[in-house]
Amino acid sequence: MEVQFAKIEGKSGPFYLATGLLAGLGLAGVYATYLMHEHGIYLSGMTNRVPWGLQIAMAIFYIGLSAGSLVVSGLYGIFGKAEYKPFARIAAYLAMLFLIAGLLSILTDQGRIDRVFVEPFTHFNASSMFSINPSLYSGHIMICVIYLWALFKEKGKLTKIASLTVCLWAIGTHTGTGAIFAFVPRELYNSPLLPPSFVAAALSSGAALMILVIVTLFRATRRKIDDDLIIWMGRRLLAVFLLCALYVMLIENVHRVYLMASREAGLFFLFGGFHSVLFWGGLIFFGSIVPALLLFIKRTGTSIPWIVFASGLVVFGVLCERFLIVVPGLIHPPDLFPGMEITRSVIEEGIVQYSISFLELLQALGVFGIIGFAFLVGLRVFPLAPKEARAEL
Amino acid sequence: MNRRKFLKKGGMVLSGTVCADGLLLLTSCNPSETTKENRLSRHKWGMVIDLNKCKPECTACMEACRQENNVAFHGDKRWDIHWIRKVGIQERHSENAGEKMIPMLCNHCENPPCAQVCPVQATYKRDDGIVIVDHHRCIGCRYCMIACPYNARFFNYKDDPDWPNKSYPKRSHGVAESCHFCAHLLDQGKRPACVDTCEKIGVKAIYFGDLKDPNSEVSQLIADTPLKRIRADLGTEPKVYYKGL
Repeated sequence: MEVQFAKIEGKSGPFYLATGLLAGLGLAGVYATYLMHEHGIYLSGMTNRVPWGLQIAMAIFYIGLSAGSLVVSGLYGIFGKAEYKPFARIAAYLAMLFLIAGLLSILTDQGRIDRVFVEPFTHFNASSMFSINPSLYSGHIMICVIYLWALFKEKGKLTKIASLTVCLWAIGTHTGTGAIFAFVPRELYNSPLLPPSFVAAALSSGAALMILVIVTLFRATRRKIDDDLIIWMGRRLLAVFLLCALYVMLIENVHRVYLMASREAGLFFLFGGFHSVLFWGGLIFFGSIVPALLLFIKRTGTSIPWIVFASGLVVFGVLCERFLIVVPGLIHPPDLFPGMEITRSVIEEGIVQYSISFLELLQALGVFGIIGFAFLVGLRVFPLAPKEARAEL
Repeated sequence: MNRRKFLKKGGMVLSGTVCADGLLLLTSCNPSETTKENRLSRHKWGMVIDLNKCKPECTACMEACRQENNVAFHGDKRWDIHWIRKVGIQERHSENAGEKMIPMLCNHCENPPCAQVCPVQATYKRDDGIVIVDHHRCIGCRYCMIACPYNARFFNYKDDPDWPNKSYPKRSHGVAESCHFCAHLLDQGKRPACVDTCEKIGVKAIYFGDLKDPNSEVSQLIADTPLKRIRADLGTEPKVYYKGL
């Protein structure tokens, strides 16, 4: 049976309220960015010892989210699972928006935004992961556009090719993003497992967010959706991604603590402060164990509200994981003098503190507002959402 | 604009961006890798710091550097910039260990991780081995600070109203910086401000010279004295050596 797509009406009070709120957040973010670049980015929580903070964590979070969306989209495009065709368009559109959000987060974090549109092109450095990745991201967005076009035009062969290309490209994008951190000589960054770990967490967070978006959208617009589709996504897709991510993370941390050279840093990561609470509480317990149990136990794993709840927890867990990739590796000092301790200095040496400032938070919310606004407007302008989604077509 | 036009135009713009990126990736080259003989490549600048002579509480080198290079100071450790700083160290888990004060600065690594990661080649290694930042090109991404294993790079988080040396430019907020061995003075045949000051006050703990010249003071010291470099095990090949570390 042919899947019918339709624009949403977008004339209800809640729709206008939501778009208005998101646009407001976007404007607030623009204002926060203006303030920082007028007066200096000391207004963020960053310092000379912690030069990357929330915005970079959010950038890699968004970029990760795009992966799972594309996988859901690829279920139809690559594997020909026709029952997932209804979600293909919306997943591809979201993937594109998440990539744009990632780029926006990186852009607003730069000290000299005015130079970002010139220098990276005129003085490209092929040995820098920060040069290579924007190329991967922009290529990714472009393939998403072609893929969306193929989906809109119902071009079967092109859809298959574009879907396969975009999924393979996504592996490159996420490996590259992990490499930004993995390829620098810092104890908590430098790990060959970081890129695959990044890919695994990207897949689980993206799949979880797709479940959240699909269920919310179908409920809000009173469209019909077959529960079996969501149950399969939760129990077969999300649960498997979640276990893969946990496995890689386990190996990474055991390896760090096992080797004497990195043991001190590894223990600091696991038990060294507030970030450890985020690790054990946010990522491991609420972000991994609880949702895994909810998905595997048959009673909760076949209930849509529980699957949605588990998906929300997974997204929260991966948000914690992204913060944990960026910040602990910076607040933990590089070992300048092995076997010695630093007694005094004119700069911050040793373990330092990092706290998110209000303006930095506003910047992050601003990016969320902009892509949220674009998502809702997209639903109204393009026929992205299906009229119904059934398990058997 | 209808959907068809939007997708067509969007696709064209993005294809252009990616093709341009791809072309740059294929054609890019690292200017620091040039092998042509030139005025700079005849030298390879290096430094030796004698910790036995350096006085623990003396900060003359730090002051001279700040005055010469207009290095920003805000009175807040989080954002203060120190191209050269003194760090107190002592042996871990040792009660009777004495403290040593180590002047630390950019090591002007032969394999600088900061230049390797800079996405716009704003940080690069000159042919005379000096690692320097082009402040007119830096986009302020701070990746160099992440990659530097010595905490030797700093960021201008805000502007400093002071401008002691009017013959040398100030940096605006939003760009990274670090010691450049006073390259502007070297280019005039002079020595770095810290080296000059240390000698002027009669301490002479900092030696500076050409590592390519076997008769230079630094080359002689490196040949004849047991010297150490900070974290040389990382493979960065620092060009700042320490005596008595």
